[in-house]
Amino acid sequence: MNETDLIEIAQKSVSRRTFIKGVIAAGAATSSLGYLFRTSGPALGASTLQGTVGRLVTLNVNGQQRRVDVLPQETLAMTLRYKLGLTGTKLGCDRAECGACTVLIDGKTHYGCSILTQTVRNSEITTIEGLEAADGTLHPVQQAVVDEGGFQCAFCAPGFVMSMVALVESNPDPTREEAAHALSGNLCRCGDYDKILNSALRAAELTRRQA
Amino acid sequence: MATIRDMIAPFELFQPTSIGDAVALLGEHGADAWVLAGGLDSFDWFKDRIKRPGVVVDLGAVEELRGIRASGGGLEIGAMTTLTDVELHPDVRARFSILADAARHVATPQIRNQGTLGGNVAQDTRCWYYRSGWPCYRAGGNICYASAPKAMNREHCIMGASRCVAVNPSDTAPALIALDAQMVIQGPEGERVVEAKDFFIGPGIDITRMTVLEPGDLLTAIRIPDTWSEATFYYEKVRDRNSWDFSLVTVAAALRVEGATIGDARIAVNGVAPHPVRLQHVEAYARGKTRDDDNGRQAGELAIQKARALRHNDYKLSLMKNLVRRAIRGMEA
Amino acid sequence: MAEKLIGTDIAPPDLVAKITGRAKFAEDFRADGMVFAKLLLSPMPHARVRNIDASRALRMEGVIDVLTAQDVPEVEPPREPVLSNEPLYEGAPILAVAAVDETTAAAAIEAIEVDLEPLPFVLDPLDSLRPGGPDAWTQGNVSGREGFQSLKWTEEDFARMEGGHLPLGEPLTEWSKGDVEAGFAEADVIVEESIVHQSLTHHPLEPRSTMAYWQNGKLFCHTSTQSTAVTRVALAGALGLDPDDVVLIAEFCGGGFGSKISGTTHMQVPALFSRKIGRPVMLRVTRYEESYIGRARPGFQGWVKMGLRENGRVTAIDLYIVQDSGPHGAGDYNTAGSITDLTYQPENMRFRGVPVLTNTPPKSAQRGPGGAQIISMLEPIFDKAARQLEMDRLEIRLLNAPGHDATFGPQDASLTSVHAREALERGAELFGWAEKTSLSGQRNGPKATGIGIGLSPFTAGNRGFDGLLIIRPDGKLYIHQGIGNLGTHSMADTARAAAEYLGYAWENVEVVWGDTSRNLPWSCVQAGSMTTHSHTRANRAAAEDAKRKIQEIAARELGGSPSEYEVDDGRVFRRGRPAQGMGLGQVAERAIALGGRYDGHELPDDINRVTVVAAGNVAGQGLMGVARDNYGGEGSIYSWVAGFALVELDVETGVVDIKEYCGVTDCGTVLHPRSLGGQIFGGSIQGMGMAMSQRWVFDPQWGVPFAKRLYTARPPGMLDVPLDLKWDAVGIPDPQTPVGAKGIGEPPVGAGAAAITSAVADALGGQCLCRTPLTPDIILAEIEGRRTFGPLEQHVG
Repeated sequence: MNETDLIEIAQKSVSRRTFIKGVIAAGAATSSLGYLFRTSGPALGASTLQGTVGRLVTLNVNGQQRRVDVLPQETLAMTLRYKLGLTGTKLGCDRAECGACTVLIDGKTHYGCSILTQTVRNSEITTIEGLEAADGTLHPVQQAVVDEGGFQCAFCAPGFVMSMVALVESNPDPTREEAAHALSGNLCRCGDYDKILNSALRAAELTRRQA
Repeated sequence: MATIRDMIAPFELFQPTSIGDAVALLGEHGADAWVLAGGLDSFDWFKDRIKRPGVVVDLGAVEELRGIRASGGGLEIGAMTTLTDVELHPDVRARFSILADAARHVATPQIRNQGTLGGNVAQDTRCWYYRSGWPCYRAGGNICYASAPKAMNREHCIMGASRCVAVNPSDTAPALIALDAQMVIQGPEGERVVEAKDFFIGPGIDITRMTVLEPGDLLTAIRIPDTWSEATFYYEKVRDRNSWDFSLVTVAAALRVEGATIGDARIAVNGVAPHPVRLQHVEAYARGKTRDDDNGRQAGELAIQKARALRHNDYKLSLMKNLVRRAIRGMEA
Repeated sequence: MAEKLIGTDIAPPDLVAKITGRAKFAEDFRADGMVFAKLLLSPMPHARVRNIDASRALRMEGVIDVLTAQDVPEVEPPREPVLSNEPLYEGAPILAVAAVDETTAAAAIEAIEVDLEPLPFVLDPLDSLRPGGPDAWTQGNVSGREGFQSLKWTEEDFARMEGGHLPLGEPLTEWSKGDVEAGFAEADVIVEESIVHQSLTHHPLEPRSTMAYWQNGKLFCHTSTQSTAVTRVALAGALGLDPDDVVLIAEFCGGGFGSKISGTTHMQVPALFSRKIGRPVMLRVTRYEESYIGRARPGFQGWVKMGLRENGRVTAIDLYIVQDSGPHGAGDYNTAGSITDLTYQPENMRFRGVPVLTNTPPKSAQRGPGGAQIISMLEPIFDKAARQLEMDRLEIRLLNAPGHDATFGPQDASLTSVHAREALERGAELFGWAEKTSLSGQRNGPKATGIGIGLSPFTAGNRGFDGLLIIRPDGKLYIHQGIGNLGTHSMADTARAAAEYLGYAWENVEVVWGDTSRNLPWSCVQAGSMTTHSHTRANRAAAEDAKRKIQEIAARELGGSPSEYEVDDGRVFRRGRPAQGMGLGQVAERAIALGGRYDGHELPDDINRVTVVAAGNVAGQGLMGVARDNYGGEGSIYSWVAGFALVELDVETGVVDIKEYCGVTDCGTVLHPRSLGGQIFGGSIQGMGMAMSQRWVFDPQWGVPFAKRLYTARPPGMLDVPLDLKWDAVGIPDPQTPVGAKGIGEPPVGAGAAAITSAVADALGGQCLCRTPLTPDIILAEIEGRRTFGPLEQHVG
């Protein structure tokens, strides 16, 4: 597929408004490192393999506008990790089961491994890298984890932290049971659930204090 | 061809913003088009590289498919309304709490934030032979691996099988049947409305599909009539883990109870057949009966009268029987 | 006096990195020119590769090369090769492809034609032991000291199966002490059961991804491993390299639980591939692949007969274990024998076992290997005996638990210390055993309450490793750790043994770990729960060495004799005259000036070569403390956890709700309370998963595994474990180790699992199901009297 093909796809559409603005075929602009898929430069025109070239889109990630080539079938976790260098979002299962890839999309938790990047072009995306303040002050959730000494291997930690952020924003005074339900989409194989819940409740407390 | 998983094979992505455009796209691409709602079921198929549609039509930008509105005394829920929105909606909770309860039992918060009511009812079966890409009946072959004498079929059918013994995995489906919901479908021929209990189909009708939706069809909304508003509800999903797990057996019931006597009832079960089953004979039995354990036991026995276990799922008979018993009796013995 | 470090809570030094996304795990690394490898996995449980045609794949744009069995080191069967032309389980890697991106690599795999000849396979060890049964390897079904053999039992042996009992045919291993038959003759009560403990996958959350490249003849490998110093040596050994030519980077490890002890077999794929094609290679292992190559706990089919005297004392145990060893073997069954002897202290004991090779994904140690399985199976059987004797289940455990003079196992090993009884007593108090016994079996509607106990020991130490630390002119203490960082916090916690001894404030301590180019000393494998014990010792030894050198320098500079000097708070000073002293930064400068042994230019002659190289590289940078742990000691080092659980079992659904759990440990001195609590709960929760939900499933006809997804493998989530969790420690130091601390990682697994199996049996009125996992179908079938699976049947539930 090359640039001409992409334009053809656009023309094949039933009406122009079926396409959300901002989707254009990849041009000369290059993304950051295209490790996962060849994304730019000679690879675009020279490719014989379908599905390895993308469209340039703009994503709002952690408050920044990031321009990046994205394939139709590309998941957000892949874009974040392999193209935007945001490797804090982990891939534990790549099947919407473990929660290590949890990110916030417009404030709600989603599994980054199981949402197409193309479908979140107009959304605000927050990853674990976007929580600290500009001066390096930890987010109350992160501070709470430090206070409670939470997590063991911590491969699950970025995902859990994102779920905790969503929890304290929607329910600033959760019971332990409510916190457990809110965090039940994240798996910790080390079984450190007790400290994780302590951290969540501490995070709520710190958030209430800030408010 | 060697097998590899976990890389989505390429497809063309369309993102229509209206129902009309979506339907037109589906019409244009026919069987090559795949409807993407929340995507949780779809991505599994794509990542396994077993389903490789040429065209994916993402419904995420079709605003008119989202939201919950009052309709004819009941509610109309857009097919793309997320399960979280269904679970938290004040009218759903106040009047049709069984549906909120069902939505809350789906997988995890992240999945409920993205997964939609339409996607939940339209999802494919989880039979692990079929999902592993084995060439079974449902996949167009001529064998059912799960019903072979030594097969591992703990999660499979105890009734309604026809060649295929896979079950419907939807948590919301039995609740919708218990509520007499109606499914609004937009197809090439225009709109049609199908009763929830008829929406789900078994392999006897079409072994390759779980619902009446055919290529080109779009489920646009689900209507909940006021019939069972604020009724007495029972919903119980038995599963191996308390999050991210499919049901072994789920029973959903809506009852009109006066004093201790059951007036009318709707009882539906999932996890036991290729489609959720409305237990009309049990409903008939329950009418006019007292809510007690004896009647619960009778109802339970009645419910499994025609059930037959496979090699590893005999427990489903006990489970279905006991859950129906609870639906009639109430949770406490 | 500087703060006390041992026994206090800290936030581990790497915690902020872990929760800000800055912590880099193996798959987070990139290198210029990096390409991607993907594996082609066997679609059959046992086959021979007749031909591989990769020509179409190699013609694809972006495809670089193929790595096959011809390109990997040969290993002695039944050891696991990296890639194989005789795959021994569905999912065994046959070859790898490298391409410029993963999309292309995946398409290339699909373009490869592998011609396979199917071979006989076996999933269930008992099937293999039957007369004429299939063998997992063409060479046989068991592998012992004399090599492979095809071990078959007789039809007469199998007659016992008709009665639902394990056949007791010819074992591969047998040991006994006393006279087991005489012991049964003395018994007033005898219980006898056949048991099934199913195999379950490890599923660490981080799959075993690895990225490797070569530079100037050296291999740089970013991988996921529980250990560091040992893993480098293991990788070098596997590839035939000098360890000095391997740089291993593994600052973080996203869980291993025994599946990544000295790295992983398949970390060799990118290393070998990179050498072949001259580019950095990333092998991103997916969960699907992890489920195959990521290891599993061996399953047991067993039989036990236990005799007890009227007073509750165990007179004899006869134990037979048939182990599902997977294609490459595992040692769990032997450990199960020793742990049984240790825990119940039978007056007479016989152990027999057969580890049977099967065509199932590879097995390995999984947290508490052998011990966790057997304890979770035996505790409810022990309960059954207690019931028959009308004894309290706590009392009978207190009576039989080992005391300080206990010995166990085929070699009559002794123990350095044991406080199992204290753990049981403290646990009973914390749990409220006495009050809760009245709840036992109580019904509330369809819910039946059960309470249970599990007493679980496991190895908890080792001796003879090296410590290496440096005080630099900046006055800071740099503690080098060759152990891994798999989440136990022991990387930081064992460093505190040195820091505290040298009177250092924690903020002036830097722990150096996770990258062998940073000069890490010879350390234990981070397994067998040995790290806490081994490396509090090694670090203490290095600290003692450093302190002697500091004192000598002080005496030399300030007069008097070395023994008159104390070290605390970053200074060395004359006892009683704090003003007469110097800062340790200054001491470090003097050490550099003095050279020789002070700054590491002369090294002790008993340290490992790995430490010699590491110390040599940092010689001259400050005052060096370097020493081998020569503290010595007599006896085996074991820690204990007594677990107590309360469950509610719904008799109409078979669903078990674990309401309360408490675990109390005897692990000697508590190094880090909060981390210890995390280990007790974490291990216990893994035990709960083992008891309640996890297992492999295979289609017996086709020989292929299901349960490859997390939701089908079913590790416990947050809603599957109790919110009410408590822990405590006996806290009595082990007298044979300077800090008094023993390990803790493994004992809680058996305790958590057994407390649940015991509590479930209690809720069922003492009816022992004698199998795991206790899923609703298994329990309901029992309650309704409709068991449809054979008593020894595997891979169900």
